[in-house]
Amino acid sequence: MRFAPNEDQATFLGVLDQMAEGHEAHWRTSPDWSRFDWSAAFDRMLEDNGFLDCAREETLGLVAAAALTHRVARLPVLAECAASSVLRPMVGAELPRPIAVVEGRDDAATRFLTVARSVILIEADGIRTAVLTPNAVAPVDSLFAYPMGRLTPGATDWRAADADPQRVRNAWRAALAAELGGVLKGGLDAVVAYVKDRHQFGRPLGSFQAIQHRLASAAAKIEAAYWLALKAAHSLDPADAMGALGFVQEAATRITNDLHQFMGAMGLTLEHPLHRWTYRARLLRSAMGGAGTHLQGVADTRWRAA
Amino acid sequence: MDFDWTDEDRAFRERVRDFLARELPADWAEMSRHGPGSKEQTAFSLEFCPKLAAAGLLVPHWPAEWGGSARPAWEHFILGEEMWAAGEPRGAQYMNVNWIGPTLMRFGTDEQKRRYIPPMAAGKAIWCQGFSEPNAGSDLGSLRTRADRDGDDYVINGQKIWTSYAGLAEHCFLLARTGQGNGKAGIAIFLVPMATPGIDVRSIPSLIGHGDIHETFFTDVRVPASARLGQKGEAWSIINYSLANERVGIARYELADRVLGRMVDELTQRGLFDDPVVRMRAGSAAAACDAARILVHRTVDKRSRGEVLGAEASIARVAVADAETVVTDFALDFLPDAFSGPGDLAVQTHHERAIVTGIASGSIEIQLGIIAQRWLGLPREMR
Ligand SMILES: Cc1cc2nc3c(=O)[nH]c(=O)nc-3n(C[C@H](O)[C@H](O)[C@H](O)COP(=O)(O)OP(=O)(O)OC[C@H]3O[C@@H](n4cnc5c(N)ncnc54)[C@H](O)[C@@H]3O)c2cc1C
Repeated sequence: MRFAPNEDQATFLGVLDQMAEGHEAHWRTSPDWSRFDWSAAFDRMLEDNGFLDCAREETLGLVAAAALTHRVARLPVLAECAASSVLRPMVGAELPRPIAVVEGRDDAATRFLTVARSVILIEADGIRTAVLTPNAVAPVDSLFAYPMGRLTPGATDWRAADADPQRVRNAWRAALAAELGGVLKGGLDAVVAYVKDRHQFGRPLGSFQAIQHRLASAAAKIEAAYWLALKAAHSLDPADAMGALGFVQEAATRITNDLHQFMGAMGLTLEHPLHRWTYRARLLRSAMGGAGTHLQGVADTRWRAA
Repeated sequence: MDFDWTDEDRAFRERVRDFLARELPADWAEMSRHGPGSKEQTAFSLEFCPKLAAAGLLVPHWPAEWGGSARPAWEHFILGEEMWAAGEPRGAQYMNVNWIGPTLMRFGTDEQKRRYIPPMAAGKAIWCQGFSEPNAGSDLGSLRTRADRDGDDYVINGQKIWTSYAGLAEHCFLLARTGQGNGKAGIAIFLVPMATPGIDVRSIPSLIGHGDIHETFFTDVRVPASARLGQKGEAWSIINYSLANERVGIARYELADRVLGRMVDELTQRGLFDDPVVRMRAGSAAAACDAARILVHRTVDKRSRGEVLGAEASIARVAVADAETVVTDFALDFLPDAFSGPGDLAVQTHHERAIVTGIASGSIEIQLGIIAQRWLGLPREMR
C-alpha cells in the first residue's frame, strides 16, 4: 500500500496545480450572471496538454485520472473532466469531447449536453455512445451550476460500446466520487478563506468554535472521500466504488448546507463563487441513483453476492 | 499510489490469524469481555505476549537493536487490526507497542531504553498512562501534580484519574509539573515504578469493564532524577508525539466492521436483511468503517515514510469515532436483543468499548479543534 504518488503521478499533479493557478481557471462572474462558468479555454488546455489521456499511461493510470478529476472539480470554473479522463479510455478513445454522460433515462436533463460533442449512455444492460449532431440537444434552464440540456428524441445515432458495463459503471462511480469530493473541497476552501477574513463581534468568524467544528467535520469527511475515491479508481471493485460514491453523497447534504450557512447572505450572491460548488454538489449527490442506492449496493455486494 | 496489500502483507496477516486461532483458549470470548485491564486478561497477556514475541509477532516493526526485525510499519497495523478485532489478547501491552515503546526509543536516554524496552519487546511489561487529573481532562496543560526537586531526586505529589490498567501496571508514564506557573512549559515526564512507596490506586467501577479505569494518588513519591524523560522544555512536544500515535493506535474500525458483519449474518438468518432500510444502513455503516480504515492507513503510510503525524491523526480519529457510532446505532436499531442475556458477546464487547472513542486520547471536540486550526488554518479561539 502506498498513498504517496509515484514520480510520474507527482509530476503530473504538480503541472496540473500550476495550470490551475493560471487565469483561465480563475473565478470571474459571468457577464450575463449565469449560474455557471463553462470555461472552454480551460477545458481546451486540459485536452491540449494531454491531461485527459492520463489513464492510458501505465505509470499514471485511473488513479491519476481520479485525482485529476478531483482537482479540476475544486476550481470555480467548469471544465469537463470525469467522463473524458476516466470513461473515454474504456468506451471509445475516438469519442470527440467534451463528453456528456446520460444515466439510464435518455430524456433526463443532463449536465454538459449543450457543450458536449459526444455522449455516453450508461444503461443497466450496456453502454452506448454517440457523436452529437447540431439538432440532437435542446438547452434546459436549470438551478444547477452546469450547462444543462436534453437529448431530442430520435435525433441520436447510438452505437453499442465494446466495454464491460459493470467495469464502466464502477469507473463512473469512482469518477463521480472523486468529482463530488473535489466540488465539496472547493466550496470548503472558499468558506474557510471567507470565515478567516470576515469579522463579527470583533473577531474572525472562523475563531468561533461552533463554526470551526462543523468545518472540521466536513474536512474529515472530504479527506476520507478523496482517498476512498482513489482506492475505488484503483480497484474498480463494486463495493469500493459504491462505497466511495455513497459515502460522499451521504456527506454532501450536510456539508453543502453548512457551507452556505457560514457565508450568510454573501453565499446567496452571484458575485461570490460559492454557488458554483454547492449547485454542482446538489446535482452530483443524486448521480447514478444517489446515496441510498449506493449504500444498499455496498450491503448487497458485500453480504448478498453469494 | 497503490491501495492493495502486498502478498507479503497478506501472508503476514494469515500468520497472525493462524497464531490467534492456535493460541486463544476456548473460553476467550468470555474472558475478553472483562476488558484489556481486567485481572483475567492481564494474566493472560503475560503468557500470550511472550509467545507472540517468540514468534516475532509482538514488535516486528521495531529496530533489531530493540527486539524487532525492522519490518514495515504496516505489519504493526495488521497486528493491531487482528488483535483488537479478536478482543485484544495483548491486554494493556498494546500501549507499549503503539506509543510508549516508540516514545522511549525516540526520546529516552540509553539507560532508560536499556531498562524499559527489552521487557516490552519480550511481552512482559505492563504500563499505565498518568496524564489526566480531576481538573485537567481536555485541558491537559493545566495539570497540577507536582514533582519537586530534592537533591538527586524528585518528590511527586498529586492525583491522576481515569488511569487505565493502573491496578496491575508496573510502571507509569507520568506527567507532573516541575516549574512554577501554570503553563505547558513547566510540565515534565517521569517514568515511575508503580511499586514506589506513596502510590495508591483505586479502581473506578465503570461501563467499560472492571479494572479498566482508576484513580491514582501520589503522596511524597520519591524517584531519582534519572526517571525524567526528555530534556527540559521538551515534554510538551513529546506528549504531542505520543498522543498522535496513541490516537490512531487502536484499530477500532476493525472490530466495528467485523461486528457489523456478524450482525448482518444474524439479520439474514432471521430474514430481516431483505428490508432495504436495513441494507442501506448496513451499507452506510460499512462505508463509515472503510472511511476510518483508509484514513488510519493514510497515517500509517505517512509514518512508514518516517514522517511525524500531525492533524491527520485527528482526522482519522474523528472518522473512527463516526464509524463506532454508526455501527453501534445500527445494532441498537436492528438487533437490540443482542445486548441482553448471553446475546452475541462480540456485539456486546464492541458496544461497551465503542462509547470510549469520542472521549479518550483527546475528545472529539478537541480533535475537531486541532483539525480546524492546524489543517484548515482557522484562527485560534479567543478566550
Ligand atoms: C476509557 C477511558 C480510558 C482512559 N484512560 C486514560 C489513561 O489511561 N490515562 C489518562 O491519563 N487518561 C485516560 N483517560 C482520560 C481521557 O484522556 C479524558 O477523559 C479526556 O481527555 C477528556 O477529559 P475529561 O473526561 O476530563 O472531559 P472534559 O475535559 O471535562 O470534557 C467533557 C466534555 O466537554 C468537552 N470539552 C472540553 N473542553 C472543550 C472545549 N475547549 N471546547 C469544546 N468542548 C470541550 C469535551 O469534548 C467533552 O465532550 C481515559 C478516558 C476514558 C474514557
